[in-house]
Amino acid sequence: MHLHRLEKIWLGIGFSMLCLFLLVLGIMSLTMGMAPPGGHHQSIDPAKVRETAPFDKPMLKKIGENEYEAVFLAYAFGYEPHKMEVPAGATVHFIITSPDVVHGFEIPGTNVNTMVLPGEVSHVTHTFDTPGEYLILCNEYCGAGHEYMMTTIIVK
Amino acid sequence: MGNASEKNTLYPNERNPQPEQRHDSSLKGAFVSVLLLGGFIALTWFGVFALFLARN
Repeated sequence: MHLHRLEKIWLGIGFSMLCLFLLVLGIMSLTMGMAPPGGHHQSIDPAKVRETAPFDKPMLKKIGENEYEAVFLAYAFGYEPHKMEVPAGATVHFIITSPDVVHGFEIPGTNVNTMVLPGEVSHVTHTFDTPGEYLILCNEYCGAGHEYMMTTIIVK
Repeated sequence: MGNASEKNTLYPNERNPQPEQRHDSSLKGAFVSVLLLGGFIALTWFGVFALFLARN
C-alpha cells in the first residue's frame, strides 16, 4: 500500500498526540487519583433515603486533621445541610444522594461536578485552599425550582 | 458475436495501451489544513487540562 510522505507525517503526528493524551490522563488517574468521580459504587433505596444512615442526618463531620466528610442530600429544590463552614486548606469528601429526581452538584471554579442520581450515592473530594464563599449549584434540570436550587459553603 | 476485426484495428482516437502517467494531486494544502486542525486540537486540549489543574 502506497502512503504519501505527507500522509505518513500526519499519521505520525496524530498518533503521537493520541499517545501523549492517553499517557497523561492514564498516569494522572491511575497513580495520582485525579479522575472524574466514579468507582465508588454505592446503591441506596431512594424511597428510604431519609431513614438510611448517614443521610438521615446530613452534616459535616471531621474525620482527620483538616479532613472532613460532608454528607449531603440533594432534593427538589435545595441541599441539606443548608450552610457549611470549613477552614481553609480542608479536604472535604462529599457524599451525596437524592431522594427524588436527578440533580447536579457543582462548585463553579473547582473540579467538583457530579450528577446525583436517586438510587446511587455520589462521591467527590475537594481541597479548599482559598478562603471564600463557594456556590453549590444544581446543574441538572430537576423541575420547576431548578434555577433556585443552590447552597453555599464558606471557607474561612 | 465479437468482431474478429476489433482486435486488429485500432480506432483513431485510441492509443496503444501504455502505463498511465501518474501525477499525484498535491497534498500540501490538505497537509497544512490538518496541521492547523491538529494544532487547534492540541491547544484546546492543553487549555482545558490547564483549567483542570488550576481548579484542583
